[in-house]
Amino acid sequence: MMLLILIQRELLSNLMTFRFVVAMVVTLLLVVANTVVLIADYERRLTSYNTAVQQHAQKVSEAETYSEVEGKIRVDRPPNPLSIFNAGLDRRLGNSIHVRHTLVPTLWDTQSHSADNPFLSLFSSVDLVLIFQVILSLLALLFAHDAIAGEREAGTLRLTMTNAVSRPIILLAKYISAMTCLIFPLVMSVLLALILFSVSESIGLRADDWLRIGGILLTSIIYLSAFYLIGLLISTLTRRTATALMLAMVIWSTLVLIYPSLIVFAVNRLWDTSSQLEAASGEIEQIWERFERERMDFLERDPVEDDNTGYDILKGPGSRGVFEPSDSTTLKYFKAESRNLRGVNDDSESLVPHAKAYYQFAESLRIRAAERTGQVRWKALEQVYVRKANLAKNLMRLSPAPMYDFATESWAGTDFHSIADFISSVQQYRQTIINYFHDEGIFSSRQWFASDQGEIDWGDLPQFSYQRTDVSTGIKHASGDMACLLLINCVLFMTTFLIFVRQEV
Amino acid sequence: MIWHLTKRELYDHLNSLRFAFTTVLLITLMIINAVAYLDAHKARSQAYRKKVSASLDEMRSNADNLYNLVIEGPGNLYKKPSSLSFCASGGEAFIPESVRGDRATWSIGGGGSSLRGIWRMSYPQSNPNLWDIMPDATDVDWGNIISIVLGLVAILFTFDAISSEKEHGTLRLILSNSIPRGTVLVSKFFAALITISVPFLIAALLNLFLLYTSGSISLGMSEWGRLGVIVFIAFIYLSIFLALGLLISSRVNHSSTSLTILLLIWTVWIVLIPSTLGALAGGLQPTRTREEFHAQRMDPFEKLRSEDGTGLNIPFLSRKIPATKETVSWAEYLTEEATVNERLNEAHVNAQIAQIQLARSVTRVSPASSVHYAVESLAGTGFTRHVQFLAQVRRYAGEFRAFLIEADRADPESPHAIGPKEGTSEKPVDFASIPKFEDRISFRGAYTAAATDILLLVLFFAVLFAGAFLSFIRVDV
Repeated sequence: MMLLILIQRELLSNLMTFRFVVAMVVTLLLVVANTVVLIADYERRLTSYNTAVQQHAQKVSEAETYSEVEGKIRVDRPPNPLSIFNAGLDRRLGNSIHVRHTLVPTLWDTQSHSADNPFLSLFSSVDLVLIFQVILSLLALLFAHDAIAGEREAGTLRLTMTNAVSRPIILLAKYISAMTCLIFPLVMSVLLALILFSVSESIGLRADDWLRIGGILLTSIIYLSAFYLIGLLISTLTRRTATALMLAMVIWSTLVLIYPSLIVFAVNRLWDTSSQLEAASGEIEQIWERFERERMDFLERDPVEDDNTGYDILKGPGSRGVFEPSDSTTLKYFKAESRNLRGVNDDSESLVPHAKAYYQFAESLRIRAAERTGQVRWKALEQVYVRKANLAKNLMRLSPAPMYDFATESWAGTDFHSIADFISSVQQYRQTIINYFHDEGIFSSRQWFASDQGEIDWGDLPQFSYQRTDVSTGIKHASGDMACLLLINCVLFMTTFLIFVRQEV
Repeated sequence: MIWHLTKRELYDHLNSLRFAFTTVLLITLMIINAVAYLDAHKARSQAYRKKVSASLDEMRSNADNLYNLVIEGPGNLYKKPSSLSFCASGGEAFIPESVRGDRATWSIGGGGSSLRGIWRMSYPQSNPNLWDIMPDATDVDWGNIISIVLGLVAILFTFDAISSEKEHGTLRLILSNSIPRGTVLVSKFFAALITISVPFLIAALLNLFLLYTSGSISLGMSEWGRLGVIVFIAFIYLSIFLALGLLISSRVNHSSTSLTILLLIWTVWIVLIPSTLGALAGGLQPTRTREEFHAQRMDPFEKLRSEDGTGLNIPFLSRKIPATKETVSWAEYLTEEATVNERLNEAHVNAQIAQIQLARSVTRVSPASSVHYAVESLAGTGFTRHVQFLAQVRRYAGEFRAFLIEADRADPESPHAIGPKEGTSEKPVDFASIPKFEDRISFRGAYTAAATDILLLVLFFAVLFAGAFLSFIRVDV
């Protein structure tokens, strides 16, 4: 009963303050302005994705032989509507990827179809989570800093305690009422954003997206509670509000703004990785050299006149392409070949079985080499790039603000795991295509290298389809950070409680 | 009298928690910045030289035949790293470091003759950011230390300058002496300015000392001059926030309200507005997509296509002197194809630049953006520098083209119809005589570019200080 009265009193005194009104208005204005900008941006990316999908399908059907499809099958990652809440990696990373049997695709082979202007990334994006992270945490500290210290200064704390109110009740009342005041702008913001979502027709939310949004909301509440409790702890420890306020601001600017950037900057600059890639790069080149040797052995065992490279077994008009791209920072290296004979010269006709056997052998060899390089490559890139990012993330977890960011990223499905999930489904798609080619005997067919016997029906080619991962993976990856945030909450509450109970008023 | 009051304020400040925080924070950030950039410039200069020499080697191997140079062009042209990049990283991860001056993507051959497109400039459209999986963060460079940290610190020192004296009644006490109000305000302003400047200058000098003694940078007259202007910018920016703090503090009765308002203004104005407005302004003037630009491209096979549009006719050209009419017309065709498509590439990149320029002008409503742009142009990094680099590259492309024509004219055995192999000289070229691209960072434009932003900052300061003055004069004590 007493609790209710206290909560009521605290609520009123919090709600009536000028700072609450100002913070509320600013938050809502920012949320509306940014949601509008972000929705427009999402729509642009969606259009860009749809055109890209069409164009890439078109490109495949332009290939006249199966080997010409090399470098023409391209799949695209659709933009995630929840990136409006937390953009994460969704906007930044490449969203289009080639599928070829000569290379196992990784994150580092992506390109971007929506980068109409790459310079635009000079302006970092503001998402809704960032607004909550910065502004509402500030509000939480402003509510908390004078909760105890202020009453102690004014003498009202002693007054309250002369009534038969236990100290935990006072603390609890303060906590509950302040959290209500903090949740109010948060919920209003999310509701406003959702209203704007529904006005824009392009955003189709799936059923489990609501669960994700719920998760983001829950994480936001836990995060704000952590900041409120930090403020409350400061308030119990200090004698004067002015000191409490200063301390709170120092801690806020360090935790929210300075520390996270400092860590990323330091890890980025001081972790030199260039040498680690060199070894893997050599290994990959060796694998392809061995491929080349085995290919030559095959040609020697089964020689054809005038040809010792394998490229000119058959004579006739047409085109040929040999690709050997190489990039040392992403370890991209492979050898591919495409052939399109528009007709086969009469004297070469007898060599067609030769050519079929050659391509059957060479392409299977290429696939094996690609699988082997894929393993080496993934191990090296993971060690260099993924571990670096994980190190930075783990160091950043000393502050609740990045934890909040990471957890909401997982909820929104814009984190590294979700992108990696897309990549692995592209890898599966590559395997499907290879299986299809094997099953249909395409590597050993005439249509692999010659287009003189009619067009290819590309309709039979397996299609790529990708569904965003369901919410359970989001929960799995968010749970760690959420648990940490909860733990911080508990520790802070216990500490504040213990100190407050023993304190003299 | 001003000095007396200032001294009183100074003693107050020096003993405070916020002064300790400011000093620790600024020194930590500046040391981390120095450590991170210790080897950065050396490594980047080395990488730059390596790439340039690789590009020159390629040119040397092409120089044994003028036709090769006509096809392959000057190769990749690289941007020289700036020695002051620790002042402003300038979003280097998002800006390409080179321009390609190389061969066309098409060639057609068969039946004894072949045609290849001649070289043209093309501008890379991707950046390493596409695979960057690191969490988002702001770089710790001078630009950010000034725009984020100095702003915050200025607020922490001024939010209670007047409001707390009002609360405690000491303001009435001071004003009961015959001191003009203006003097009180000015002394408060100077006290805060000095208190923050001292740790900032110490931290900055420490940073330069670390960089200098480790041999990572050499500091000449030009560098000192530019660093001086950067520090000057830091002072104006600091003054803006001091004035803002005094303004709000004199309008409000409680320190906590004053701090709330100031922090909200600071987060919105400095942290959120530049990004939001940048994204918004980018959407105002959308460039055409890559595909749309691609669709405008001149089809190189247009003239080669046979009447019924099924096959390609490859002409048989001869090496007759003077050039036959057909060779000349093919030479003109190839030149036109290269020029038209190069111009399209250029138009594309120009449209992108215009979009960014607009976004930059709009974001200047935040003084943090002005600081960034000014520091960037003084440090020789970032977008302005990239635009400068592109201008140099284009000038060089003209020189290189003129050289090819000149070299071809000097060969008596050439039909002088540059383009097709049959119309071009195939003599080796003296490598030393080929003009080479060397990127020069010119700071002549830097001061003028920075001047606009500095003026804007001064304007902000003047308005805010006048506001603070007027509102303090009218304060009821």
